[in-house]
Amino acid sequence: MEIEYGVTGRWTSELYIEGQGTAGDSAVFTGWRWENRFRPLKREHWINPVLYLEYESTSEASRIQKEIVGGAPDVESPNADLQATKNHELEGKLILSGTSHDWNIAGNFITEKNLLRSEGFEFGYAFGVSRPLAKLASGASCRFCRENFLAGVELYGGLGSTEDGFGARNSAHYVAPVVSWQVSENASIHFSPSVALNGLGNPMLIRFGYSYEIRGFGSRFTQWFGGRN
Amino acid sequence: MRKLCSAIVGLVLATSAFCQNPDYQQDSKWQAPADVASRPNPLANRPETAGGGQKLFRRNCVECHGADGSGLAKKHAADLQLSSVQQQSDGVLFWKITNGNPDRGMPSFSKFPELQRWQLVLYLRTLKTAAGSPSKP
Repeated sequence: MEIEYGVTGRWTSELYIEGQGTAGDSAVFTGWRWENRFRPLKREHWINPVLYLEYESTSEASRIQKEIVGGAPDVESPNADLQATKNHELEGKLILSGTSHDWNIAGNFITEKNLLRSEGFEFGYAFGVSRPLAKLASGASCRFCRENFLAGVELYGGLGSTEDGFGARNSAHYVAPVVSWQVSENASIHFSPSVALNGLGNPMLIRFGYSYEIRGFGSRFTQWFGGRN
Repeated sequence: MRKLCSAIVGLVLATSAFCQNPDYQQDSKWQAPADVASRPNPLANRPETAGGGQKLFRRNCVECHGADGSGLAKKHAADLQLSSVQQQSDGVLFWKITNGNPDRGMPSFSKFPELQRWQLVLYLRTLKTAAGSPSKP
C-alpha cells in the first residue's frame, strides 16, 4: 500500500508499506519504504529531470520488484528464514521524461546501496513509452471512453553492481506492456504483465495497482487536528 | 418554510462567496514567452469540443479552481472568471496549463495530449460567459 502526498508543487513524498503471502508458506509484513520525488526545474523542457530518493527498511522476504537492481530476490527459501535478514537501503534515481506527439517517454537510471552490508552499489534502469488512446476528450461522462485508457510498453532490468561488475549481462531484464484505466474522476487501475528476456530472473512478473486520489486531503487533515486551512 | 429556504439559500451564497478568491493576484514572475502568445487554438472552430474540456476541468482543476472556476481562496488559486485571466490569449493559457507554476502549487499538465490542453483552454473561455462578464481578449 502506498500513500502519496504532494508536499509542495515540486516535491511529492510517499510511504510504501509492503507484505507478501507465499502459497504453502506464510504471509508476512516485509517492511516499508519512504519515497521522495523532486522536480528541480520550474518549467517544462524537452527533457524534464526528476530526482528520486528512497529509503527502505525491508526484509529479505520482500518479493516486490518495483524495479530490478543487481540480482533477483530469493524465492526458494522459506519466509521465516528470509524475515530474519533485514535490509536498510538507500535508492536514488535520475528520471528523465518528455513528450513527443502525445507520447510520454521516460527513462531512469537507478542506483541502490545497502547500508548494513558491504554489497557495494547496485544499478538498474527502466525505459518506457506510453500514450492515451484518444487525443480529444469526449464530452460524455463515460467509464470506457478511449481517453480514459493509456497504453504503452516498458523495458527494465539490472545493470550489475560495483562488486560483480557494471553491465547488463548478469542481470534480469523484462519487457512489459502497460495499460492504465482511469475508472472514475479519482480512481485508476494499472496493469502490467512483464516477460523475462533472459533466464536470470522470474520468467514472469505481474504488476497490478489501484490508485485512489483523496482530494483536499491536506485541508481535511488540518481540520481533523483543529488547525486552520 | 420560506424562512428556512431563504436561510439555506443565504448560507449557500455566503459559503460560495467565502470560498471564492476575488483577491487573487497574478504571479508577476509567471510570464509566458512572447512567441507563444499568438498561438491560435486549433479547436477554435470546434466549439462542441468544449464539453470534453469541461470534463477534464472537473477531473483535474475543480479541487483548486472550484466548479465555476472562481478559485478557492484557501488554495490561493486563480479566479479564472476575472478579466485579467480571460484577457490572456489562448496561447498564453495553453502555455500556463502545459507548464504549471509549481511555486504557487499549479501542476504541469504537459502529459495530457496537446488537443486536450486546447480543450481546457476552450472550456476556460466559457467561464467568462457563465459569470456574465464578457471581455474580449
